[in-house]
Amino acid sequence: MASSTQLKSDAIMEQMKLHLSTDAGKQLTKKIGLVYQINIAPKKLGFNDKSYVVDLKKGEVKEGTYEDGKPDATFSFTDDDFVKVSTGKMNPQIAFMRGKMKIKGSISAAQKFTPDIFPKPSKM
Amino acid sequence: MAMRELERLREIPTATATTSDGNLYAGEEPFASLPGSELEHTLRPNLQGSEFLQGFRSVDQGPPQRVLSNFLHSFLHNSQGGMPFRPTSLPVLGLSEGDKQCIRDRSSIMARHLFADKSEEFIHSQVNALLSSLDIDNDIRARGPIPGRYPELEEYWNESQGMRPGPHGADGWISEFTQHQVAPDNPNMWVQSFERQHGANGWASEFEHEQSQLASIDQMRGSNMPNLAAMEQTRLLAHTLAQNKDPKFQNSKFLQFVSKMSRGEITIEDNQFKPAAFSAPGDWATEYDQQYGGGQSWADQFSNEQLSHGPHGWANEFAAERKQHGVTDNEWVNEFSKLNVNDWSEEFERQVADGTLGDASADNWANAYDEYLNEQVALKQKSETSRGLYEFSDLNPYVGHPNPLKEGQELFRKGLLSEAVLALEAEVMKNPENSEGWRLLGIAHAENDDDQQAIAAMMRAQEVDPTNLEVLLALGVSHTNELEQAAALKYLYSWLRHHPKYGTITPQDQPENLYYADVARIFNDAAKLSPDDADVHIVLGVLYNLSREYDKAIEAFQTALKLKPRDYSLWNKLGATQANSVQSADAILAYQQALDLKPNYVRAWANMGISYANQGMYEDSIRYYVRALAMNPKADNAWQYLRISLSCASRNDMLEACDSRNLDILQKEFPL
Repeated sequence: MASSTQLKSDAIMEQMKLHLSTDAGKQLTKKIGLVYQINIAPKKLGFNDKSYVVDLKKGEVKEGTYEDGKPDATFSFTDDDFVKVSTGKMNPQIAFMRGKMKIKGSISAAQKFTPDIFPKPSKM
Repeated sequence: MAMRELERLREIPTATATTSDGNLYAGEEPFASLPGSELEHTLRPNLQGSEFLQGFRSVDQGPPQRVLSNFLHSFLHNSQGGMPFRPTSLPVLGLSEGDKQCIRDRSSIMARHLFADKSEEFIHSQVNALLSSLDIDNDIRARGPIPGRYPELEEYWNESQGMRPGPHGADGWISEFTQHQVAPDNPNMWVQSFERQHGANGWASEFEHEQSQLASIDQMRGSNMPNLAAMEQTRLLAHTLAQNKDPKFQNSKFLQFVSKMSRGEITIEDNQFKPAAFSAPGDWATEYDQQYGGGQSWADQFSNEQLSHGPHGWANEFAAERKQHGVTDNEWVNEFSKLNVNDWSEEFERQVADGTLGDASADNWANAYDEYLNEQVALKQKSETSRGLYEFSDLNPYVGHPNPLKEGQELFRKGLLSEAVLALEAEVMKNPENSEGWRLLGIAHAENDDDQQAIAAMMRAQEVDPTNLEVLLALGVSHTNELEQAAALKYLYSWLRHHPKYGTITPQDQPENLYYADVARIFNDAAKLSPDDADVHIVLGVLYNLSREYDKAIEAFQTALKLKPRDYSLWNKLGATQANSVQSADAILAYQQALDLKPNYVRAWANMGISYANQGMYEDSIRYYVRALAMNPKADNAWQYLRISLSCASRNDMLEACDSRNLDILQKEFPL
């Protein structure tokens, strides 16, 4: 594992993956029931994206693009901005307005993408 | 217009909603679905949808169009000569409220550009003459769609698009423009007025209406972010315009402006309007975007012109722009005849039925605004630290204290972290080379749940004393918390290299790129070398957190705790690791241990809140966040998390207290 290619978002996705196996995570799956694909760029939007599928239908997080059809919404972020949005430091709508978040897909699905979906990292 | 033609028009999905004021089209229901009227209504998706579908069936745009067009032409001609405009009496045109608003809005902006060299009074009288001829009240402002609470947001928005108040200091103009900018329909209306003045082609202008209609509803779905779709249009526009080979145009400030604006900006690709619904996929959508983009560009261009040059430059741009339109207009007509109308309406019905417009969207928008303000405040506070610079508090009562370090150590021991921070700041201001002052300041910030300041202080400590092990470990931990892996790895490796016992097993030249596996291997060797050294287990635990091998991390911390059971920060590290590997119940026990040892440990209180929140126990989490904040109101993370928990616990009534950081109210409401 080369440290230089690590994204901050990887940690959040990993935690999300674990989170979805908990009761709270299962409730979330039930409540949202949508599939999001999230493309995360290390520095600049659209460059060297790493994709994750956050499947809130099945309750799983997978690396790579969605292959069972079309995700309900696809988001693109830079690594830093995804961390900001998922930890509640930046509102998704503000992120969108400022061009820090790109959306493809249905707006109604996108509107359900809120900071409370992701578990918050605890600090040592 | 001949009957035959009218009939053809009926088959086309036009959305002209010309309300009859009496004679011409009596019997028609007045429509509210004209672009420009959406915001006069509360957002009722279903209603909107049915109005739209009704709009499909209504077709009338005959002679009045021509009269209006001629009238506006004469206004323009008159204007070019700088002559006062003399009102004429016109036949009843049957303009709807939306039409009127459109004309009203456009004329006043247009007039300010046409008469940029004239006085405000002249402009007013020109516009008033025009409007009174058309029987339109000149009450632009009264109808402004923006509730008063967003002015700052608009300001920001304008700023972000490179708009600055123009050379005329035309505040009124700017605010008027802002209204146009925010109202989602206005871009279309530009195109409409444009078409009315210049587009004799009935087909094209009918189609234009249609487009405006669709676009408005499209934007309605994202009504809480009205500007966003426009951004995409700008991008497409920039692309289109960039293909114009005319060097004059290429060099125009307008193009530069548009492309600058579009670079790295928002795109919204709504696949519900996918071109696949038509027999001529692709082309149509592109052309639509160009056309619509052109509309948006007018508004943009105006702001640009306001900055750069006068009405002449404007006229040039206008001509260039017109050329573009001229080409597309004809193709449009061709493409248009291939459209499959039914697909359109079905798409719409489906979407409206989906309830794509949530009732909450207006709320979301308001909330987003509040959060935006918070964010701005936070940004201001954090602007220094984000660059790794330490930011000192204002009005520090410990400045001038005879021995602030001793005072700071004392306060820290008592657990008065925020006070200790002040005393230690006074110390390092007095003695910037005191690494112990900086180190303890960093520790205090970390315990106070502020990693940014902690890192900034620790970096100063490390500058003064590059091999201090505690400092290196603290930097490793803080960077791990901030998910900054490479930096964290670097400091943990340095810790090992500078350790008197383990330095010998570490390669002396630090490689350019550290590989996690190599570092982990050396640490494991170190742990085998001296299994009773708690510190090496602690660092190992942090390292495993970095690689998200949580089980190994938990094991390492537990080993360390056997050696150092009264280390509260170690209990917190264990808890945080358990929490991050979704063992929240265990985590809470560990945090409790930490808090028993150090009751004012803000970080552990905040972590408690996180663990409850991650388990969906939002009401509980609120109490812990509030407790943490009562001890350190500067803990921004906790404020952000508190806000999320309040929303999730349906305690929106407390959001205002949260946004205004009113701890009295929050503590009363959520005692622990």
